Amino acid sequence: MNTQLTLALRYLRGHKTRTILTTLSIVLGVMLLFGMNGMLPAIKESFSQGVKTSISLDELTVTRLANGIFGQEQVALVRNVPGVVAATGSLSRKVILPTDMAPQDQRGQLITNLTLTGLDLDSFGEINPLSLLAGRSLQPGDRAVALINQSLAENSGLGIGDHLTLPTADGVTRLEIVGIVAGFGALSGGEPLYLPLDLAQQVLNLPAQINVIEAMVAPSEDMAIVGQRVLESLGSGYQLGAVETGSEIQAVLELGDFIFSMFGIVALVMSGFIIFITFRTVVMERRRDVGMLRALGASRRTVTGIFLFESLLQGVIGTFLGLIAGYLFISWMLAVLEPMWRERLGLSLGGAQFSLGIFILSITLGVGISVLAGLYPAVVAGRMTPMDALRPAISVERKGSTRRRAIWGIVMIAASILCLLSRNVGLASLGVILFIAGLMVLLPLLVRPVTRLIGGLLTLAFAREGNIAQGNLVRQPERAAITASVIAISLAVVLGVTGLLTTLTYGVFSYMDKSLGADFLFIPSSFALGSGNVAAGPGLISAIRQVPGVEAATTLRSSFARFGETDVMVIGVDPQTYPQVSGLEFSRGDEQLAYQAMAQGNVVLANGMLATQGKLELGDDIELLTPAGMRTYTLQGIGNDYMNSKIMTLYVSQDLLAKDFFETGDVLLMLNLADNADPVTVRADLDRLEAEYPGFTLYAAQEWKDRMVQDARTRMSITYLLVAVLALPSLIGLANTLGINVLERTREIGILRAVGATRRQVQRIIMAESLLLAAIGIAFGILAGLWLGYVMTASMALVGYDLAYFFPWSGILLAVAVGLLIAVLAALHPARQASKLQIITALQYE
Amino acid sequence: MSIVMIDKLTKIYGHGETAITALREISLHIEPGELVAVMGPSGCGKSTLLHLIGGLDRPTSGRVLLDGQDLAALDDNHLTEIRRRKVGFVFQFFNLIPVLTALENAALPLMLDGIKPAEAKQRAQEWLERVGLVDRLEHRPDQLSGGQQQRVAMARALSTEPALILADEPTGNLDSRAGDEIANLLRQISDQWEQTILMVTHDPRIAAYADRIVFLKDGTIVDEAHLSGDVSRSTAGVMERMEGL
Ligand SMILES: Nc1ncnc2c1ncn2[C@@H]1O[C@H](COP(=O)(O)OP(=O)(O)O)[C@@H](O)[C@H]1O
Ligand SMILES: [Mg+2]
Repeated sequence: MNTQLTLALRYLRGHKTRTILTTLSIVLGVMLLFGMNGMLPAIKESFSQGVKTSISLDELTVTRLANGIFGQEQVALVRNVPGVVAATGSLSRKVILPTDMAPQDQRGQLITNLTLTGLDLDSFGEINPLSLLAGRSLQPGDRAVALINQSLAENSGLGIGDHLTLPTADGVTRLEIVGIVAGFGALSGGEPLYLPLDLAQQVLNLPAQINVIEAMVAPSEDMAIVGQRVLESLGSGYQLGAVETGSEIQAVLELGDFIFSMFGIVALVMSGFIIFITFRTVVMERRRDVGMLRALGASRRTVTGIFLFESLLQGVIGTFLGLIAGYLFISWMLAVLEPMWRERLGLSLGGAQFSLGIFILSITLGVGISVLAGLYPAVVAGRMTPMDALRPAISVERKGSTRRRAIWGIVMIAASILCLLSRNVGLASLGVILFIAGLMVLLPLLVRPVTRLIGGLLTLAFAREGNIAQGNLVRQPERAAITASVIAISLAVVLGVTGLLTTLTYGVFSYMDKSLGADFLFIPSSFALGSGNVAAGPGLISAIRQVPGVEAATTLRSSFARFGETDVMVIGVDPQTYPQVSGLEFSRGDEQLAYQAMAQGNVVLANGMLATQGKLELGDDIELLTPAGMRTYTLQGIGNDYMNSKIMTLYVSQDLLAKDFFETGDVLLMLNLADNADPVTVRADLDRLEAEYPGFTLYAAQEWKDRMVQDARTRMSITYLLVAVLALPSLIGLANTLGINVLERTREIGILRAVGATRRQVQRIIMAESLLLAAIGIAFGILAGLWLGYVMTASMALVGYDLAYFFPWSGILLAVAVGLLIAVLAALHPARQASKLQIITALQYE
Repeated sequence: MSIVMIDKLTKIYGHGETAITALREISLHIEPGELVAVMGPSGCGKSTLLHLIGGLDRPTSGRVLLDGQDLAALDDNHLTEIRRRKVGFVFQFFNLIPVLTALENAALPLMLDGIKPAEAKQRAQEWLERVGLVDRLEHRPDQLSGGQQQRVAMARALSTEPALILADEPTGNLDSRAGDEIANLLRQISDQWEQTILMVTHDPRIAAYADRIVFLKDGTIVDEAHLSGDVSRSTAGVMERMEGL
């Protein structure tokens, strides 16, 4: 044990560069896996800023499931519950201020993010008296007044007597600030703004609605029992405690979580390969030492143990450094993202957070993969007899194993093709793995012919050195194959993701063309419906309808419902006007019949994502928990619109939304022009309306699409980050292999130099080898990547996006460019190393 | 009882047409405290013989008894244990582990046997001093001369106080002065601690240090000579005897 550890440490220290390179590959994988997962909670938290309620010992907080609102008359029911001494209702929602209304902070940044809390002036003081720092509190009879908190006052410079303007359902309202209360806004939430309940209801267009009841329990009573009584008095659909928000955004984030984790794991698996190649070589290099140890009486287990200790040490150190690097990387990323986030989404970002689970996962995978990759080489080392080591037998190519390898490889590739042809996504994904595995089995056999094929081209550029380089690769087919595979896998992932993104982008554009049939749009401040938008009352739509030249106009309204375990978005459409202006892209069900049915009764349409994840069929009864309680609706159609394709969404008629969700505000308005209308004059009229409703921005459909295309382009740029991140392990792997090749052939290089090869020629040999390896990697990477992209696109269909596959030409160019760049970069150091060798030392080596 | 008894030992490498018979029914006894030299031209099977006696390889037929133990009956683990406890090896090349110091190399068999590092190093250091290496304990092999490296290898072989030391051309890679020093050391070890030693050499000058010389040719023993009995203890004497073969 002790001896093994000593030896392992010594060997690692004896080959510093190699140790650093292999460890670095683990660092990178862990960094990705750990860091990315640490970033997500910050993003999630940033989204889940809803109602903030104070919870103290003698207070009960009652909210509605699914973040619902309810009638303010419910407060009276709670007040009558035995044990409750006082109760008050409030309405609290996040709003995003239009930029021309938002106050500025000292750095000149807009504070767009507020949490409006409407307080019942008659009763809030008994339960939740705000601790006042200056001015006065809200009093019964107050109208257009508000309280702000200390941090908003400090940041914005607003004080008592100043005014704030808020958008409302029918225009704007001006509030006077009368007092400043203690406290700071939640780290990631909006700054609170307290105002009279009726005013808040007017701003949010939720007349007589609240979403929180706070009740004070008599000190002698048992909180739990009173809480139970409260719930019973209210009927179903209520809960004790604060609102859980944004589980639909959560679902999207979890997908992101999953994707990031996958990248981390892919990077780790690649570092596994790198360790594997390195250790295979190390075992061969150390054959004589192993023989000596065995002759001296070291058992097989001891020898295996030395190698395992080495991989374990590297795994532990690499993982440890990876955790630190991941933390630093993500903290830096968050710091860089924060201003962008604030500007684009009006949300602030918290710091990096790491759950115990992600620690465990990172450590297990980081250390586990290192040890696993070292296992086979270590066992091989242990199996060596002293004689193998002291008297190396000339390696004879074993025909049997070659044939078996070929058969296995071909069987795997054939099976993977069958999987692809099956048109079943599960099988097709399995096919990708099979294909890559089959490739890795076959590659050692393919190295020779492929090298010869590509080598022909190479000799054009490297007339004299190309042949030697080819020979060198063919001599170590296994190592060449694994290195090429590492390159191939990373390029495949890059290409696959580019393929998916290309498809998604084009796919979304085509949705957009169909589902955004409108000529003009009034878009709310925040892009995602239902997250803090101030809705418009009936005034805006009727004003739009009266503009001369407008042929048809329609609105969207939004709410949430609980479907099983998750929140789903519910969009209210007008079954008459919606199809005229925009409409869904139907994938199942008859369009006309569906809208007719919607107008008549308890009918819903689902988007693709919800239909797939909920395994819904036409005609199914869907049970939803709505703000009005449990309701059952019939599914009459499945279709997508562009804006809500990424979250689970149901469509209902606006009448139903008013009846069961109490929502009547318009959050998005769309209109079409008559054929003979003059767009310029209509636009002028609409501009005037836009000025009256600052919560909305007017876009011509084309402008909006352009903006979305721009956004999609930005998203595509994530690919480049990804390319960099995934290219790095390949770079390390290739540099490692080349470095080992140089080490191994020190003597040969000495002889080459002795017989008259120039330093440049030696460098060119290494460079040629690198390019050859990369070329093999690129060729197979493109094959696997196209496949991967196809499968990913196909699996998107499984979760509800039915998209046509677009061939990623740009991705292929990118893959080739990156592959060649890697080749050149990786060869730089080993080539210099080789050419610097002194002839004498080189010849004495070993 | 003899330390080594071999009986009709045969070793054939390979199969069929390419098979090479390295040893052909060899029988040999080595008594406790003896220093025996095996001589013969290159390729006559000297190393093969040493490997079989040391349990590094298995014979095609015949038996090896080492300190009364039949090696054929042992599995790999027990064979390993025999090597660790009863045999000390000194080879021509690749003798030391490059990443360990002289002291650690010498202590290695003891450490492998589970003896505490401090004690193992203590014992190794004593042996290093006995073989004349006092001031280079913390040097790595690449910082030592060939002769010094071979002394470390001897100390390592002696550290477990084995029943038998096997030395395969221990002077083969050294200049003549260093070679003489090592041969002298072997003689001294044999005399002072009655250590049984079997060494292989093709150098008559080195063989002259032995008590007995076994002449090997084409895998069979062709002659045997007791020095200072049959043959005078000198290079010339050994050369003379070889000439007769
Ligand atoms: N692993 C092996 N495979 C095949 N032939 C071998 C092997 N080891 C040794 N030989 C052959 O056996 C014969 C004896 O070798 P060896 O014992 O090394 O001779 P010596 O040490 O006397 O020079 C030689 O002909 C050698 O080529
Ligand atoms: Mg030999």
